[in-house]
Amino acid sequence: MKFYVCIKQVPDVYAPLQIKDGQLVQDADRNVLNAYDASALEEALVLKEAHGGEVEVVLVGPEKGKETIRKGLAMGADKGTHIVTTGEENFDSFVYANLLASFFKDKEYDFISCGKQSQDTDAGLTGSMLAELLDLPFATNAVGLAYEEGQLIVKRQGDMGQEIIALPSPGLVTCSNDMNDPRIPSLKGIMQSKRKPVESVSIDDLEIDGSITSKTKVLGFEEKSMREPGKKYEGEPEDIAREVAQLLDSQENLV
Amino acid sequence: MSTLLTYISVNDGKIKRSSLEVLSRCNELAEASGQSSAALVVDANAEQYVDQLKNYGVSTVYLIKDPIFKNHLNTPLLRALSLAVDKVNPSVFAFASTESSKDILGALAANKKAASLSDMSEFELTDNGVKGKRPVMAAKIVSAVEAEGSPVILSVRSGSYDVVEKVSDPAVETIDFSFDEGELKSTLKEIISASGDKIDLSEAETVIAAGRGAKDEKGQELVSELASVLNAGIGASRALTESGIYDPSLQIGQTGKVVSPQLYIGIGISGAIQHVAGMANSKVIVAINKDPDAPIFDIADYGIVGDLYKVLPPFIEELKKIKA
Repeated sequence: MKFYVCIKQVPDVYAPLQIKDGQLVQDADRNVLNAYDASALEEALVLKEAHGGEVEVVLVGPEKGKETIRKGLAMGADKGTHIVTTGEENFDSFVYANLLASFFKDKEYDFISCGKQSQDTDAGLTGSMLAELLDLPFATNAVGLAYEEGQLIVKRQGDMGQEIIALPSPGLVTCSNDMNDPRIPSLKGIMQSKRKPVESVSIDDLEIDGSITSKTKVLGFEEKSMREPGKKYEGEPEDIAREVAQLLDSQENLV
Repeated sequence: MSTLLTYISVNDGKIKRSSLEVLSRCNELAEASGQSSAALVVDANAEQYVDQLKNYGVSTVYLIKDPIFKNHLNTPLLRALSLAVDKVNPSVFAFASTESSKDILGALAANKKAASLSDMSEFELTDNGVKGKRPVMAAKIVSAVEAEGSPVILSVRSGSYDVVEKVSDPAVETIDFSFDEGELKSTLKEIISASGDKIDLSEAETVIAAGRGAKDEKGQELVSELASVLNAGIGASRALTESGIYDPSLQIGQTGKVVSPQLYIGIGISGAIQHVAGMANSKVIVAINKDPDAPIFDIADYGIVGDLYKVLPPFIEELKKIKA
């Protein structure tokens, strides 16, 4: 079974953030593997361990993205492809999906997977865009995966509960971070990753149509307007509990 | 004249409030810009929603009807939406942000080579598209974004706009649709519903959210009792859905459901940013937590500092007394 996992390098959303002149500034230039992609990779590795095959990670991004490919290889992926950008292009999901679609068009695989969204933009568009461009059956927001008789059995979180979907090969699945705890690379894994092959692909080689340009633009960033804190009630639990219950009725009319 | 088209999410005879919020916003924008506002229902029994939609000011209701839409399946839904875009040629095609719309938004945009913006917290029209805001970086900050072209396909977070009622007499148009089940590439084998929970969390007027502080049996009992007194939906923090205490579909937060009830009561919830991203649009927030420094108190209207096991019994008793 050949699994391609599309991964993205994102700024660490848990590192301190500032906004200067409408732009995001992070004191520590800390970049990490997108947590949702890490779950997708973990799941592909588990399936490979059970059923055999090969897992390849694909990353679109600037030179420093190599670190994140190495992380994927250290976790256990067999090889990597780096589609190299300058990082200054301001591509949106539509362009990323087209770059990936162009890369995959002459590739053979059973499944492509990726995170359901990335931690920095939280857009969640690229996965299903890629499926549509490659004309693949797809399932999003997977919380569980199994491989049975050539099909991927996807448990996805839907609006009304969990939907169990049989996805034939070739197909595409996007993963939630609720499905597993991605492995931490072992020292051995890290050593081995240095000998695993990483191929670089230039965007020019992907020959995407000149009409494929970003259709959306980020104008800037601003602080989130937070709610004003209300009143804190401290004291005898019995008294404050009754007081708030009465206020919810008399002040808010919500009981 | 061009059209702002709103996709109406429905479930079992009822229109989801979140899509009425989006429709109300589109009505307002259409009126201000001299465009028309239309609604699209895609369902096995699409026509049953026309009467309800008469209360929300649309000029046309488009229906796509087929038994295949009984359950969510992305292949036929995409076909239907693509057909609706061809037929209506909207300037904006707006969705409430639900798991079903998240499933297909990107694919539809790629199919139509259209710009797409997901999970918007506000949006407005520009001369040649849409601009607005959306939370990013795990909902810690807001990004101002812009899209050009027609249609712009977008989704809106629940609770971003109020529902405004306005009676109208819309034209009703059925768009011809047929789908051969043989074209289904993936197949739906089963739906596992959330365990016996009858109140749809994302639609509930009152939501009780259980956090780590309420993870034992006694805590769960108190949460259930409070929910039953207030006729509330029960949600949970990620800690409690991951440990299997509550169904994963009940997770409130950036990676789970976004709720925007009239009343939210957090029980033993600390208020991690991931959780807050899913409930900060609630009208009134009550928090019960024994840690006076819990971040939830920074956004709570009523913050009760105390042990939930001591606070909840008299709280429930008082509410029962008021209701009696």
